Amino acid sequence: MKLKRNILACLAVLILGGVLCAAGQEKAKVVDTKVSSAGADTASGSPLVSSKPVHKAAYSRFEGEQRYRANCGRCHMAPHKFPPRMMATIVRHMRVRATITDEDMNFILRYMTE
Amino acid sequence: MLIFLAVLVLHGQDQPDIPKPVPVIIGGAGFITTFDGGQPHLGPLIAPVLLVPIGDRWLIESRATFEADMVQEPGSSSFHGQVLKSIDYAQLDFIANPYVTVTAGRFLTPFGIFNERLYPIWIRNLQTDPLILPIGTGPSQASTGAMLRGGFPATSKFNINYTVFFSALSTVTLSNVTPLDSDRLVGGRAGIFIPNARLEIGGSFEHLLQDERSNTFGFHGGWQPPALPLEFRGEYQRSARGSGYWIEPAYRLSQVPFWQYAMRRTQLVARMQQYFVGEIPSDSLPPVNTRQFEFGVNYYFRDGLRAVSSYGRQFSQLGNKNVWTIGLTYRFAIPLGPGGEN
Repeated sequence: MKLKRNILACLAVLILGGVLCAAGQEKAKVVDTKVSSAGADTASGSPLVSSKPVHKAAYSRFEGEQRYRANCGRCHMAPHKFPPRMMATIVRHMRVRATITDEDMNFILRYMTE
Repeated sequence: MLIFLAVLVLHGQDQPDIPKPVPVIIGGAGFITTFDGGQPHLGPLIAPVLLVPIGDRWLIESRATFEADMVQEPGSSSFHGQVLKSIDYAQLDFIANPYVTVTAGRFLTPFGIFNERLYPIWIRNLQTDPLILPIGTGPSQASTGAMLRGGFPATSKFNINYTVFFSALSTVTLSNVTPLDSDRLVGGRAGIFIPNARLEIGGSFEHLLQDERSNTFGFHGGWQPPALPLEFRGEYQRSARGSGYWIEPAYRLSQVPFWQYAMRRTQLVARMQQYFVGEIPSDSLPPVNTRQFEFGVNYYFRDGLRAVSSYGRQFSQLGNKNVWTIGLTYRFAIPLGPGGEN
């Protein structure tokens, strides 16, 4: 019983810690995005989210393809595109099944429904 | 925990610009012929997965499998076998926020990566199951209870994914369907995924809350080098019922400079695995220490349709044997509504 309680407590602490850590990262990312939209660069040197719609679309497509290949390729050959509303269901399913991040899911869905 | 979840739900964000999802049936079908120690088995299989999205955050998903293991009866040249029907999982998912998805119902036991992600016939590179598959997942490979899971970016370099679950004892039996049994246990899995390196590593843990109340743990890994059409996957698992590992490299021949049309559709795959008997015997695991090596060639005709073949040699104290497989696998997706724009 004591071991069980300890295991549950450890798992709860791990999840809580992870969520708080991720929430902190998310806040930092929001700040970064505000800074980058004002013209600053990011530390990673990756393409920025530009205020120009063309650049934003190109960035979204580039990131979408990268994340699609990285995430889908973890388990299977990257599939062809399906119709948009089908794709929305399948990506939601894969988000749960493969624990894909929310951000990756959104990029992949946009890329796959373009 | 409820308060914790409620607070997280409030932080969830709607996605107004994404297409409205429709119910879909996806899944795999195939016909695999196996020669196991010289005995031919014909294995037709279809495993549809029903996906019903509800609103922006809910998803009902269920997979059924219909398969037969047809063998020749003594003195007969024809093959006979019963169709086995099973409900592999039937679960309700609630995406509470970007970090937590709550799942309830009967779900595939999230131990390692094979059972949840690599099991479907159209995904797996080799059609035989790893010897250690039942160690962490049990005979039915499913649990009945509730689960929290999710993935989130920890830094700009890597993501964390996790699953924690509780399963209740189930002895439910429906007529004409494989029993929906499950053990009473608690467990979890955590891993990191480095997208730039396409490297994934993680570990799983389970504590059985019945019988011998033993612990089971395991590690898994996967790597797809971005510069090469190569992939590595593997798992190690250990419990009182046994332990073992499998390692599976696969290489797509798209870099071969000749016969490009055929070569880029061809995949070579190998799997080395070993199983060691534990203190407690198990019906779903080999009774003796076993080693197995497999080599396969897959050919992708087009997206979702491929021919598969493999040769394996199994070494054990019960005798060595060859295992050959050849067959076709197909992945299908059928919308149950208009699939186009909103």
